[in-house]
Amino acid sequence: MPETALGARGVTKSFPGVRALDDVTLACAPGRVHALLGENGAGKSTLVRILTGDESPDAGTVVVADRETRLGAPREALGLGIVPVYQELTVLPEMSVLDNVLLGQERSRRGLLDRGAQRELARAALARVSLEDLPLGTRTGELSLANQQLVEIARAIARRSSVLILDEPSAVLSGDKLQALHDVVRAIAAEGTAVVYITHLLEEVPALADDLTVLRDGKVVSSGPATDYTTDRIVREMVGRQVDQVFPDPAPPAGEVVLRVSDLVPVGSSAPPAHLEVRAGEIVGLAGLVGAGRSRFLRTLAGARGRSQGGVDVGGRRVRGSLTGAIAAGVALVPEERKRDGLVLDLTAAQNITLTDLRQVSSAGLVRTARENAAFDEERERLGIKASGPGQPTRQLSGGNQQKIAIAKWLRVSPRVLLLDEPTRGVDIGAKSEIYRIVRELAASGMAIVIASSELAEVIGLAHRVLVFRDGAVVGEVHRDPDSAERIMHLALGTAS
Amino acid sequence: MTSVAAPRGSRAPRLAAFSGLVRRGGAVWVIVLALVLALTFARGTGFWNSGNIAAVLAGAAVLGLVALGQHVVVLGGGIDLSVGSMVTLTSLLTAVLVDGYPIRTVPVIVAMVVLGAAMGLLNGSLVSVARLPPFIVTLGMLYLVSGVALTVSATPAGRVTAALTDFSRATLGPVPAPFLVLVAAVAAVWLLLARTPWGRHLYAVGGDQHAARAAGVRVRPVLLGAYVTSGVLAGLAGVLLAARSAIGSPTAGSGLELSAITAVVIGGTSLLGGRGSLLGTVGGVALLALITNAITLLQLPSTWTDLVRGLIIIAAVAVFVVRRPR
Repeated sequence: MPETALGARGVTKSFPGVRALDDVTLACAPGRVHALLGENGAGKSTLVRILTGDESPDAGTVVVADRETRLGAPREALGLGIVPVYQELTVLPEMSVLDNVLLGQERSRRGLLDRGAQRELARAALARVSLEDLPLGTRTGELSLANQQLVEIARAIARRSSVLILDEPSAVLSGDKLQALHDVVRAIAAEGTAVVYITHLLEEVPALADDLTVLRDGKVVSSGPATDYTTDRIVREMVGRQVDQVFPDPAPPAGEVVLRVSDLVPVGSSAPPAHLEVRAGEIVGLAGLVGAGRSRFLRTLAGARGRSQGGVDVGGRRVRGSLTGAIAAGVALVPEERKRDGLVLDLTAAQNITLTDLRQVSSAGLVRTARENAAFDEERERLGIKASGPGQPTRQLSGGNQQKIAIAKWLRVSPRVLLLDEPTRGVDIGAKSEIYRIVRELAASGMAIVIASSELAEVIGLAHRVLVFRDGAVVGEVHRDPDSAERIMHLALGTAS
Repeated sequence: MTSVAAPRGSRAPRLAAFSGLVRRGGAVWVIVLALVLALTFARGTGFWNSGNIAAVLAGAAVLGLVALGQHVVVLGGGIDLSVGSMVTLTSLLTAVLVDGYPIRTVPVIVAMVVLGAAMGLLNGSLVSVARLPPFIVTLGMLYLVSGVALTVSATPAGRVTAALTDFSRATLGPVPAPFLVLVAAVAAVWLLLARTPWGRHLYAVGGDQHAARAAGVRVRPVLLGAYVTSGVLAGLAGVLLAARSAIGSPTAGSGLELSAITAVVIGGTSLLGGRGSLLGTVGGVALLALITNAITLLQLPSTWTDLVRGLIIIAAVAVFVVRRPR
C-alpha cells in the first residue's frame, strides 16, 4: 500500500486578480480520514478541483499513489480511483436514480446495458448510504437535496475508489443522515480508502478525522494528526492574525439613524425576524459562512427579494418592497455577482455608469453622449477608475475597475443607504485598498453603509460593528476589538461557548 | 405533507399527473387522438380510406426520419438546422447518380447514408472538438450543403430506377414500405437511447455537460454520435424522398429542418437538452402529418397549413413546456 494515496506538492494556482493556492503541500494516507479546513475562499475548493483533474495547477504536482501525476481531465482522475463528491450537486435531475448512480460507469454486454447487473450495483451502493428503499426509477430531481447528495455519494461508492473526496457534505446533510454518512465514511476508510473530508462544521472533526490540514489565504497553515488540535486552535489558525494596521479606526458615526430594519423576514426564510439600525456615516459589517443568509438579507433590503414580514424605513419613511421602491427611497445594492448582476459587460464603462439614471444624461428623450462622458469623468475622478476612456468595453477592464464601475453606477442615484455584497471578490490587493478607502469616504460623507463579506479581516477592519449570520439568522453582534475575529468565527460556526 | 401545504393539495396531484404525461411524451397524443376523432366524424372526408391512410403514413416517413435525428441532437443539448439541406442534397444526388441505371441503386443508397454520416461528422466535430455553438455551425452547414446541391444541379435532374419508385409505392397490408423504414429507424433509435451507455451519456451531456464530465463521461464521442445519427437519418430520408418523387430537385428538402424541430418541440422535448421522450417526437410527427392531411381532406386552402402549425407550436410551448423557475 502506498504511503500517500493522494497529495499535492508545492501546488500554486492563480486566477485573474487572486492567488487561490500558494505552494500547497498535502499528503493523504490510505485508510485515514483527512479533514481539510479553512475559511470561505481559503482555497479548499480550488485544491479539490486540482486534485481531481478539473483544473491544472500553475506550478507543483499532484501525487497519486506516491507518484507525481498529471491529471488532464476528471475522467483520468476517476480512472486512478480518485472520486470526488462536489459541493455543488452534479446529479442530473431529469435522470433516474439508477442512471445517476451509474453515470459514467454503466455496465454493458454486447453494447447494450446489462440491466440486471446495473440494478444490482446501484442497489448495493444505495444500501450503503441507507437509501435501499428508494425506487430506482425515481426521477432524481424529485428527491430532497439531502437525498440527492446521498445519491451522489452512492455514485462515488459504486466506483471502487482508492481516494474519496467529500466537499462539504454537511452543508446539505444533518442529523441522522449526517450520522449515517459518518458511519459510511469510517467504513470506507477501514477498507483502506483515503478519505478527504471538507467541512465547516468543526464538531464533525474530532469524531471523524484522523488527520487534518488548515488552509488560509491559499496557504497551508498547519497539518497533523487530529488529536493535536483543539477547536480553539483550529479557529485561531483558520482566522489568522489580525492586520489592524491596514484599517485605521473609523470616525465615530455622528448622524441620526438613516436605515431602520424591523422584524424583517425574507420570503422563503424560516429564520427569526432581523432588526438593524444604521446611522448616517456608519458602516455595519455582515459576516457568516457562505449560505448563512448575508446576501439574502441584503437582497431583501434592496427589494430584489420579497419579504414575508417586517419593514424597512429610510429617514423615517417606509420603503416599498420592490427594487424600484428601494431605489426611489435611496437604497442601492452593489450585488455579489458583479459579472452577472452588477454590470452589463458588453456596454462601455460610461454606459454602465449612467444605466441607473439615464434621465440625468438625456434631453428631449435622447441620451447625450457629451453628458454621459461627463458623468464618467466625474466618477473616474471620485473613484480612481482606470480605463482608456468612457468608450472602453467594461469586459476589458480589470476586476477592480469593474467593481468601481459597479459602485459608481449606484452613486449616480445619490443613495442614502449603500449595500455592498462581497465588494472585493476577485479584485487584486491594490484595488482592494482603494475600495476600502472609497467605502470609508462615502461613510464619512454621511452615507449609511452595510457591507457583507466572506473575508473576516475586511468586515472587521472596515465596519464599526459586525452582525454575524448563521443558518439565516443573526446570531450575534461584535464590536471592534482585538479578538473580534475569533469571536465572529465561533459565532459563525456555532462553536461559541 | 404539512398542514400549511394542504389547501393546495387538491390541485397538485392533477398537475403532477399532467406533467408526468408531458414528460413521457403522451400529451401530444391527446391532440393527435382528438384530431383523428374529429376527422372520423367529419362527414364525407374518407379519412379511413386505405388510400388516405397509406398517404398519411407514407408522408410521415421522410419527416419522421429527420425528426428522429433532430430528437437525438436536441436531447444532447444541440440543434441541427442542416438536416433539410442534407435531405435535399442526398435526394438530388440519388436521382442524379442512379440516373435510371438499376445496377447503381444499391451502391448509391449506401453512398448517400455514408454522405449523411460524413456531413453529421463535420457538424459534430465543429460542435464538440472546435466547440462552436451548434446553432451557428448547423446554420452555416444549411447554406453550405444547399449551395452544393445547387451546384450539382440548379434545376430538377436525374431519374431513379423503377425499383425505387416501386418500393415507395409498395405496401404491406395497409402499411406503405417507406413507413416500415421509419418504424425500423424508431426502433433502432429507441434501442440506442434507452439501452446503451451512449444513450445514458447523451441525456447526461444534454442535461448538464459539466456534471457529465465530472462523472467521467467522454463528452466528445457522445456529441459526435448524436450529429452522425442525425446525418445518417437525413441521408436515408433523402433516398426515400427521391424514390417518392422519382426525379431529383435542388429544393426537395427545404424547410424540413423547421418541421423536424417543430415535431420535437410539440412532443415535449426540451430545447435546452437532457429531457424528452421518443414517444413525444413520434407524436409530433403524427400531428404534423395529420394537419397536412386534414387540410387536404377538409378542402381548406393549403395556405392554412402554416397558420395551424404556428398556432399549435405556440399552444404546445405554452401548455407542454415544463417551465423553469425564474
